Amino acid sequence: MKDGSLRMLDDMIARRTSDRPSDGAIPAPHLKLEPSSGSLDELLSEVPCEQVSLGVSAGIYSSGMNVALQRWPQIDTESIVAPKSPALMPPWKPHRQKVTTFGITFPEGVALLAPPAAPEKGKGPATDETEEELTSIEPPRPASLMDEATLAEAKKKLTRLKPPDDALSIEDRLFYLLQPPLQSWLGGQEMIMPFEPFPYQYEGIGWLFSKSAALLADEMGLGKTMQTITAIRLLIRSGQVRRVLLVCPKPLLPNWQREFRTWAEELPFVVVEGDSERRRLTWTMPGVPVLIVNYESLVRDFAAFGEGEFPKFDLVVLDEAQRIKNRTSRTAETARALPRRRSWALTGTPIENRPEELGALYEFLEIVPPNATPDLRQLQFLAKQFILRRTKNLVMKDMPPRLDRDEYLELLPAQKYAYEKAEKEGIIHLNDLGDSITVQHVFELVLRLKQITNFDPLTGESAKLDRLEADMEEIAASGGKAILFSQWTKVLDWLAKPMEKYGALLYHGGIPTKHREPILTKFKEDPNSHIILMSYGTGAVGLNLQFAGYVFLFDRWWNPAIEDQAINRAHRIGCKSQVIVTRFISKDTIEERIDKVLTEKRELFARILGDGDDCNQSLSMNASEIFGLFDLKARHGKGTKNIGRNKSA
Amino acid sequence: MSHGNHDPFRMGFLTAVEDAERGFVGGLLITNRFGRPLEFQCTAPVKPNRAQQILYGPTLRPFVLGELLGRTLIDKIGVKPHLVLIETDEILDLRQHVSIPVAYFVNKVTDESTQLSLGKLGIAFHPDYLADREEMVRHAKAIPGDADMREPFERIREALAETIRLGTARTA
Repeated sequence: MKDGSLRMLDDMIARRTSDRPSDGAIPAPHLKLEPSSGSLDELLSEVPCEQVSLGVSAGIYSSGMNVALQRWPQIDTESIVAPKSPALMPPWKPHRQKVTTFGITFPEGVALLAPPAAPEKGKGPATDETEEELTSIEPPRPASLMDEATLAEAKKKLTRLKPPDDALSIEDRLFYLLQPPLQSWLGGQEMIMPFEPFPYQYEGIGWLFSKSAALLADEMGLGKTMQTITAIRLLIRSGQVRRVLLVCPKPLLPNWQREFRTWAEELPFVVVEGDSERRRLTWTMPGVPVLIVNYESLVRDFAAFGEGEFPKFDLVVLDEAQRIKNRTSRTAETARALPRRRSWALTGTPIENRPEELGALYEFLEIVPPNATPDLRQLQFLAKQFILRRTKNLVMKDMPPRLDRDEYLELLPAQKYAYEKAEKEGIIHLNDLGDSITVQHVFELVLRLKQITNFDPLTGESAKLDRLEADMEEIAASGGKAILFSQWTKVLDWLAKPMEKYGALLYHGGIPTKHREPILTKFKEDPNSHIILMSYGTGAVGLNLQFAGYVFLFDRWWNPAIEDQAINRAHRIGCKSQVIVTRFISKDTIEERIDKVLTEKRELFARILGDGDDCNQSLSMNASEIFGLFDLKARHGKGTKNIGRNKSA
Repeated sequence: MSHGNHDPFRMGFLTAVEDAERGFVGGLLITNRFGRPLEFQCTAPVKPNRAQQILYGPTLRPFVLGELLGRTLIDKIGVKPHLVLIETDEILDLRQHVSIPVAYFVNKVTDESTQLSLGKLGIAFHPDYLADREEMVRHAKAIPGDADMREPFERIREALAETIRLGTARTA
């Protein structure tokens, strides 16, 4: 073995030596080979050597994997969808970026179907998703007084809902921003609108929709009722409210029912009426979206329920909300105690006498703390946020004009005699009263004199009646209709006879409530009925008599706001032509003096309030002004007084 | 009221706004056939990074608006629409990534084979998915003829501007 190894080593050395170039440029580093040096054995004897055995065995060790190594690998196939066409974007991405999202779901609204009898030409049931085919419904008719240009402009400008100022969460704000414009929402597909609202009415509807506390104080006749009903309808449709309570004065119950049928025929409503048992059932009846009740029943029924038992409402609407201006009255206390989420108040006269009256309304709206007395600056600040008031002056372009004419009439001889006598005796009587004189005494004299200016009680002579007959002849001949207002039912009854030939109808507090609605229907539909005789108290509020083109104020009310309310029965949205308002004022009488006082006050407040609000600041005459009619001074304890009229007055 | 098996027609309106600082924000509004909202989803702002801008070049906008924002929104929306409407054909290729028909608006229907009248306007479908058009013919009848189909995009833009405003206010 040793010999063999050495031989191999010799061979290797020999090969390397022979491969080296002859010039011997790279000598071997370790071995210095010289021919004269001794044998190989000698060389190796100097290198330490160790014998290594090359007999390696080739056996296989068991590792446990041997069998697995012998198996064929399993291969699965999978088909890949190749792109149909070459695209710029690579269809496969190594990493898809994650995007964070945020979303809101809109509440499911209440879908109500119109009464089945509704379909007729241009009208169909309120469509719902149950019908995929589009029902043929005409869009709402524009009011006939809208000219083409106004109509085109109105169509162009869409009314979008705005989030209320107090909506802070993004969900709340997006809810309003993502609602469709009112014009398309009320476009006649989802909801039937009998008439196209005016632009300012769209604005009012949108404003109400987004408010949880709102005072809609539009001047009478601008359509507060319609705006309120439509806003309620939209709130119910969008699932924002489910139960609404509407409170109104008793005489207006039929009016609200009629308006609900007109503007929201698919919306069921129930009037709370009948005996106490029935009313209690009505209050607790489930599934009624709208309850209508008068103030008196509300106060009574609320007291009948135990504490915390009164049903809750999503929305409470007070019509003619000036009814709660006295915040300590039971009506006001009840209204404030109603469990509710939203509060709306409607009134054409938010301030009847004093700005503080607004405080009571703000308290109902829960925008001021209980018993708060906000000052004028605070009232104005809150008004900007919570009150929407438009006057006819501001929206006059949407309305036909109202022509006011004051007819100054000379008393007839018998009237004049009776008047002068009564005034003379009356003043003497007042003078005799001395310090015991009160405003009531003066008031009585004023009333007596006013009655004589209407007609002489002895002879029945009346300058006003003569003038009225002359006007009515013309009105009846042209097929027109007139409303006459007086503060006395006695005067109305007296007028009924001479007006009989014009188909006169009587409508005052002496007429039972259930008979009143047919009277209005007859006045509207009977072509021979040309005049309706109304008292201010019963006929001034809430009625829609826009088909009447003439209004007569036979005598004057103390408060111009009430007179305006009366006039606005005829001069309101929907009237097709101008309304002529005639005020009868007897010359050189107490009427003329009252008119002067009221006119001056109206002008004064118009200057203060501005904004075209010159005709509805309701400013009753106060005690000193009533005394002043006879140049008397209001007494405060012991005071001197000038009795008797100043001749120069 | 029972709807039974009836599945009322729903439309999705998809668009996005670009904020110079924060990037693209996408919004998808689902409405019923009259435009009343049912659900709304929007994305957080997405700003493409420099690498994406270089890699995608001119296809960056279609990628971000369609594949990234649009597809995410359609995936996330709970009330699934029958049709997704977009304003232009810029992101029409979104159709390749979703199973819902996608169409964009044209002022006038010029090609009956790929287009369809919807409201006052016409809509055009992806040329590779012409079956979408046939599917929508039935639903199109449920849309009022005078409906302004572009109007919901205005609402979305306002809503997105509001979310950006509120988002900015909160982070400020």
